[in-house]
Amino acid sequence: MTRISARYLGKRIVVSYITLLVIMTLLFALLRSMPGTFISSMITPEMQPEQIQRMREVWGLNEPLWKQYVNFMVNYQTGEFGMSPTNRVPVWDIMIRRLPRTLILFGAAFIVAYIVGPLVGMYLGWLRGSRKDKSIFASSLVMYSMPAFWLAWLFIWLFNYELGWLESTYMYHQFPQFEWTVVSTITNVLHHITLPLISLAFVNWVGVMLVMRPSMNNVTEEDYVFLAQAKGLSERTVMIKHAARNALIPVATQAIVGLAFLIDGSIIIEQVFSWPGIGQLIVNAVISKDYPVAQASFFILAVLVVVMRLLTDVVYTYLDPRIKFGEG
Amino acid sequence: MSTQSESGFELDTLRERWGPRIERFKRGWDRYTTHKMGVAGLAILVLFTLWALFPDVFAPHTPEWKAYIGYENTRMSPEEVNSLPHPPAFGDPFFAPLGTNASGQGIYSMLVYAAGSALYIGLAAGLLSSLVGVPLGLISGFYGDTWIDETIQRIVDVMYGLPFLPFLIVLVAIRGVNTTNIILGIAVTSWLNNCILIRGETLSLKERAYIESAQVAGASDTRIVFRHILPNVLPLAFVFLAQDAAAAILAQASLAYLGLADFTANSWGLMIQNVQAHNYIYNAPWWLIPPGLAITAIAAAFYFIGFSMEDVTNPQKE
Repeated sequence: MTRISARYLGKRIVVSYITLLVIMTLLFALLRSMPGTFISSMITPEMQPEQIQRMREVWGLNEPLWKQYVNFMVNYQTGEFGMSPTNRVPVWDIMIRRLPRTLILFGAAFIVAYIVGPLVGMYLGWLRGSRKDKSIFASSLVMYSMPAFWLAWLFIWLFNYELGWLESTYMYHQFPQFEWTVVSTITNVLHHITLPLISLAFVNWVGVMLVMRPSMNNVTEEDYVFLAQAKGLSERTVMIKHAARNALIPVATQAIVGLAFLIDGSIIIEQVFSWPGIGQLIVNAVISKDYPVAQASFFILAVLVVVMRLLTDVVYTYLDPRIKFGEG
Repeated sequence: MSTQSESGFELDTLRERWGPRIERFKRGWDRYTTHKMGVAGLAILVLFTLWALFPDVFAPHTPEWKAYIGYENTRMSPEEVNSLPHPPAFGDPFFAPLGTNASGQGIYSMLVYAAGSALYIGLAAGLLSSLVGVPLGLISGFYGDTWIDETIQRIVDVMYGLPFLPFLIVLVAIRGVNTTNIILGIAVTSWLNNCILIRGETLSLKERAYIESAQVAGASDTRIVFRHILPNVLPLAFVFLAQDAAAAILAQASLAYLGLADFTANSWGLMIQNVQAHNYIYNAPWWLIPPGLAITAIAAAFYFIGFSMEDVTNPQKE
């Protein structure tokens, strides 16, 4: 089953890499176009001119622009993100600590959204035009229209404030007397992740459904579906085994765009639930004008998007037997 | 005499030219009204448009009104201040059908007065991304598989790699938090979908026989694109415009939540953000719930209209 040739994979990787380089260039241009310089937010009125001069040197602002650009590109690709002026620690350390937490929440939401979305889309596409389809479709569009943070607050209000079932802040208990066994840690994290996960998935599955529904509907008109029905297979078998499998292909394409929306959602949700991930970091960094951290978080999120896109792209070509390999 | 016959002639050609279009519009309208969802969306949008145009008719007060003191420039007594945010009150001690916020402004009045800004942000961002995405999609599709197409598609590819909200946050934080920058920031990334989908549509339209016959008849590329392809992709473009408008309103609300809203302009997103800023999320549902519902309603209205229109423009899908 070597359906994916090394050449094809190599080409995709090169394209992703170039995309990343362009995004970094954009990021560089964006940050250099700020009013003032990169360090103006760190300068306090009591500073001596020599100190400011030294700071400019440390941040490489005295070098010509092209040299700054080259340094930026080289440093970022080798993981040299510099120091955070507000936290006084290397930015890289912050990133490494925060990235897994974001990935846990993001990954869980991704899985939930891409299970629920296609399933609902499958039923609605199969029943297209029926009363059930219309009412479920309209109500899911209403869910899609809810501001995520507002919905999250309503969930917190209900499940945390009124019922007291689930936790609404941070990722685990922050009390020192907590016993760190494997089971207690897992239940504890589950206690904390449920609400952010539901809030994030609640809005995002609709995007997947919106692709699955018309795709499923197109598939129901195909000959092989009629054939399966004519063979006397049960409605369920035809729907799941014959129609849905083929209708899934556009969903894989949508995942490429859907990923970016999921990242947007997770930034908001991380902020609402004080989930200590990259999304929360970038917002706080921008507001407190900690540009090295903001820049690095942006970069990490961009890498995340590009890598996930590469993965979905490869999975997609692997899934669809109609695509020929090594030619594109 | 001659002028009369001339104008009669003009009227005839006018009727001849526009007759079929009006017919087609009427048929489309009839099909559209069979979608309950679309009619509901249109009704909500009309209501919000009326709110935006005549806020003084719908709202009992202007946003300057304060509980207890009304428009007078006096101070509230300490007990009165302590009773804020006040739950819904009907005449006793003041009239505020959805209660007041922590500074005594009527929630319902603020909702009505903010409808305009929501519509403005949605329509401006939607229009702007259509104005960029549709022509680029047309060009890219019409010159499919040439270097022009390749260039545009590579740009789209790279832009898709940008994390949208972080980009918006950084852009707005750098360029300044005001409504114009927020709209521009939203449009910078939301034209991508329009471009890709319009390109796909153009690619398939290009193969139709009537395009070929126009080419054989010697029509220029510009003429073919604008006279023969554009009118056929326009309905689809309106579908995306509606969806972009909804997405833009939601994006603005998210930004407002993150503290990146124009604090001089009243908006629904800002109203929700204020609930949190004053720490009343759990204690003042009359303040928290209505602005969220308003955002949901207007975004849903745009989505409803968009998806119903999609059904009207793609009859084969039914």
